[in-house]
Amino acid sequence: MISSLRPSKRRPQPQLTPETGSQVTAGIKNFELKRNDKYYAWLFLGPSLLVLSIFVFYPMLRTFYLSLFLTDNFGRPTVFVGFQNYVNLLATKSYLASLQATGIYVVGVATFTIIVGLLLAAVANQKIKGIEFFRTIFTSTMGVSVSVSAIFWLFMFNPSIGILNKLAVGLHLPVVNWLTDPHWAMVAVIMTSVWMHLGFTFLIFFGALQSVPKTLYDAADVAGTNSRYQFWHITLPMISPTLFFVAVITLISSFKSFGLIDLMTAGGPTNATNLLVYRVYRDAFVDGNYALASTESIVLAVIIALITLIQFKLLAKRVNY
Amino acid sequence: MEMTTAGQASIRRRSGLVFKYLLLAVLAFVIIFPFILGLWTSFLPTTEIAKGSLQGHLSWQNYHDAFTQTPILRYLFNSLVISLIQMAAHLFFASIAAYAFVFLEFKYREQLFYVVLATMMLPFEAEVIPNFQTVRSLHLLDHYAVMVIPFLTSAFGIFMLRQAFKQIPWDLKEAADVDGLSHWQFYRQVALPYSKISLLTLAAYSFLGSWNQYLWPMLTTFSNRLRPVQDGLRQLHSEETATNWGLIQASAAIVVIPTLIVLFWGQRYFKSGLNEGSVK
Amino acid sequence: MTSLKTGWQRYWQWLVGVLVVLLALGGFAYNRTRAHADTGRTKVVFWHEMKGPGQKALDSYVKEFNRKQSKYEVVAEFEGGYNDVIQKILNTHGTAASPALFQSMDISTSQMYHSGFTTPMQKFVDRDHYDLDQIIPGAKAIDMRQGQLLAMTFNASQTALYYNKAVLRKYGITPPPVDPTYSDITRVAKEIHSKSHGQVKGMTMEAYSWLFEQLVANAGVPLTNHDNGHTGNATKADFTSPAAIKAMEWVKENIDAGDFMNFGSGGNASANESASFLSGHLGIFMQSSALTGQLYKTLKNDLGVTYYPRPDGTKANGIAVGGAALWIANDKPAAVQDGAWEFTKFLVNAQNQADWQAKTGYLAVNKQSKDEPQLKALFKKSPVLAVSGDQLARTKPNNTNSGVFVDGWVPARTAIQNAMQQIFAGEDIKKSLTTAENTYNKVLESNNRANGRN
Repeated sequence: MISSLRPSKRRPQPQLTPETGSQVTAGIKNFELKRNDKYYAWLFLGPSLLVLSIFVFYPMLRTFYLSLFLTDNFGRPTVFVGFQNYVNLLATKSYLASLQATGIYVVGVATFTIIVGLLLAAVANQKIKGIEFFRTIFTSTMGVSVSVSAIFWLFMFNPSIGILNKLAVGLHLPVVNWLTDPHWAMVAVIMTSVWMHLGFTFLIFFGALQSVPKTLYDAADVAGTNSRYQFWHITLPMISPTLFFVAVITLISSFKSFGLIDLMTAGGPTNATNLLVYRVYRDAFVDGNYALASTESIVLAVIIALITLIQFKLLAKRVNY
Repeated sequence: MEMTTAGQASIRRRSGLVFKYLLLAVLAFVIIFPFILGLWTSFLPTTEIAKGSLQGHLSWQNYHDAFTQTPILRYLFNSLVISLIQMAAHLFFASIAAYAFVFLEFKYREQLFYVVLATMMLPFEAEVIPNFQTVRSLHLLDHYAVMVIPFLTSAFGIFMLRQAFKQIPWDLKEAADVDGLSHWQFYRQVALPYSKISLLTLAAYSFLGSWNQYLWPMLTTFSNRLRPVQDGLRQLHSEETATNWGLIQASAAIVVIPTLIVLFWGQRYFKSGLNEGSVK
Repeated sequence: MTSLKTGWQRYWQWLVGVLVVLLALGGFAYNRTRAHADTGRTKVVFWHEMKGPGQKALDSYVKEFNRKQSKYEVVAEFEGGYNDVIQKILNTHGTAASPALFQSMDISTSQMYHSGFTTPMQKFVDRDHYDLDQIIPGAKAIDMRQGQLLAMTFNASQTALYYNKAVLRKYGITPPPVDPTYSDITRVAKEIHSKSHGQVKGMTMEAYSWLFEQLVANAGVPLTNHDNGHTGNATKADFTSPAAIKAMEWVKENIDAGDFMNFGSGGNASANESASFLSGHLGIFMQSSALTGQLYKTLKNDLGVTYYPRPDGTKANGIAVGGAALWIANDKPAAVQDGAWEFTKFLVNAQNQADWQAKTGYLAVNKQSKDEPQLKALFKKSPVLAVSGDQLARTKPNNTNSGVFVDGWVPARTAIQNAMQQIFAGEDIKKSLTTAENTYNKVLESNNRANGRN
């Protein structure tokens, strides 16, 4: 069904019908309509193209343009420096650290989201009483926005009154400085992000599991294989396209994480969670360095565009499959 | 002999069932624990929460305070207005654009479609600087319009509805041509009703997408009168942090409930949207 | 053809319909922003960054001002942290969203001045023959440029050192003097730690650049060339002066002795610090004097406050006033600016400043406030609350204790904070500070280049 990705070419020729008369009028009308197609096209596409041009294409070009300059206190480009900003940026230790942190974050979020999401879907994919209730709960985090998640989890991570440290004390585990220790802060934001992503991921995996033909399992049962074998040799291959899809979607969405970081760590401690998007915001809208932020934006855009391209390719593949 | 094996199997089956429920319950508990804790503390007095206690006299006080002392209702109203406008705009502009890509013939149609598709690759987060400058020069800052105009259309919506429109049997279009229906009439009378599920899906997505906007409103709104709810929560959190957890938790609860309702109502549309839009 | 026509018309009807709804809602929003203008009062939008008790007090002044007179209507908006507001001001200037009056922090003085977006307060001072002498010299020094008042100092604070008298009493430790040296503090911190057998940590310092900057200021050493930018455009940072290194060595000594407790940096660090301090797990910490009131509420007369520490063997140079000042934007009509000025005068009158200090712990910037009954009674009951005000009052302004007059100091703070965190984590002092200095020098250089200065 990748045909859906390719623009349709189907507009069959008018067929000859017994009623020649009406066919003639239809032909005339068709001709007139087709001539008018152009105007309709402008009308119908105009608004969307206008909005996309002003708020998607122009700003991308403009961002690139700004990245070639130094900008003054008002964000105006003043000194042309070519690709110097890129050279400087990639030589900045803290930026490389941000890239690395972002890498850890997105891979961490994607990995755990997939594992836990798959587990939830597998557990929910059985016919027992009351399963609908559990399915609803598993989907529920989809309805939680970034701010709400951050606030719920901030409360749990709170060093003095948070439930997690209280649990740790109760279990005689060492108390963790969740949001002030660089390593744990990363763990904390990943945990929150995974939790947020679970509802959506569960929904997709669940759908995928349900679409695996029962007959395959029946045949495997007859062959006397156990359920672990069935999972690795039937389920996983059957849902692998969905797996890739979820991986890419989660990667892209975590690359764009902003609100979570803003509310939970503000990029700290010691820049440990200063992810790419947050950095763009800080450099532009706090430090006022619009050229630097534009350069970072371009790097971010390139990374996300590449992943999206992979997504499109994967989509194409699985549809042919 | 026969009997015992059957008995054993039945026991095994039953213990298996217990295990299944146990697993389900544990997972469900882990998932909803943050909700429960948030809801629970929203009923506790802040003084108790600050002491680290999870017990105390339960009351609606925090909700009362949230409604009377914070602009949370105003935030909710703002988000509702913005999300509804954005939803309507997406449905309208994306559907007519999708219609053009399916039912109209014009030069560069395929190229234009790829151009639209390409916008899905460009992250909005990387374009905030020029966009901010644009809306500033259009004098839209701190205005509902600033949160709507850049998002009047949706490339994803166009893509999804294009898929939906392509499911419409071509015979229908021909019959419509014969009957002399204009494109606009065909769009209104056939294309839209035929793609109801997709439109509902897009509506749910657009609504939630707008409702969850965080970065852009944060950059472009400067007053409580216009701030949408996500940034309102951010605002409350930064005003009250570490001092009034009860109020914050109550505000978060107030915010999460409408989205949960939309979610449970729109669940099947989300599912079908996923199937049509991208997974297929 | 007719159907085609109606199709076209329908399309336009729909398009127009959607646009009308959009415009109506937009207009509705727009009207809301201007609603108060209909009352016949001049609307004065005031942006501030005060939260908690500060916000409560400020809201009450706004209410009172609006009640007292009928010409202006002040509308206060909380705009987040100090750091977030500078760009918001620069970005909204000249649009309907911008404020008439805004609060902007100490280190943004230069940037606000250079932006040309503000009307210097001196203009109103001269016009109304306002008695500027009633404002404490040390409090306004940071807002002066060549004898002209740019902005009105408002929520003044200084760095202060707090200690828990109850802890010292319990372990029989002599309290530090009111004007302590580094080694005075080290002695107390070490004793707390050893006499409590590690139960109580001696001291902490948040990885907060302001605290570092004031240690250097108190030693009488600038952080950039051209006397912190007061006598010329700053082109080079100096974070590795002997004074800076000495300050960090002092902290390091306590870290090595094991009496130091690291809270990191950022919004939570300070809250966690106070929590530890109040619960008796931490003996000494340094923070804004604005915390005094809050700490006093719990500890009462067990709260000890001293001046900010100075290097051994030197006289304290005095430190800059922190906090923020009020600025009047010049993109609003004269009537609105007049309203902003009236409200400014109202906020810094003796009575309101006394109330402000009593409620928030910010230091009254009006000389006469200390004679107001409210403060007199307060200081009599709890002398410790007057310590930081005394520190401010005795400060003789000079170029090293009047803040930095440099555009874009926020990245310097970020760099310094990173260095502090590294040092607290055990890395080499000189190396960490040099990295910060180099980082900021690059920022400074390209910033000067971009803005056509050198």
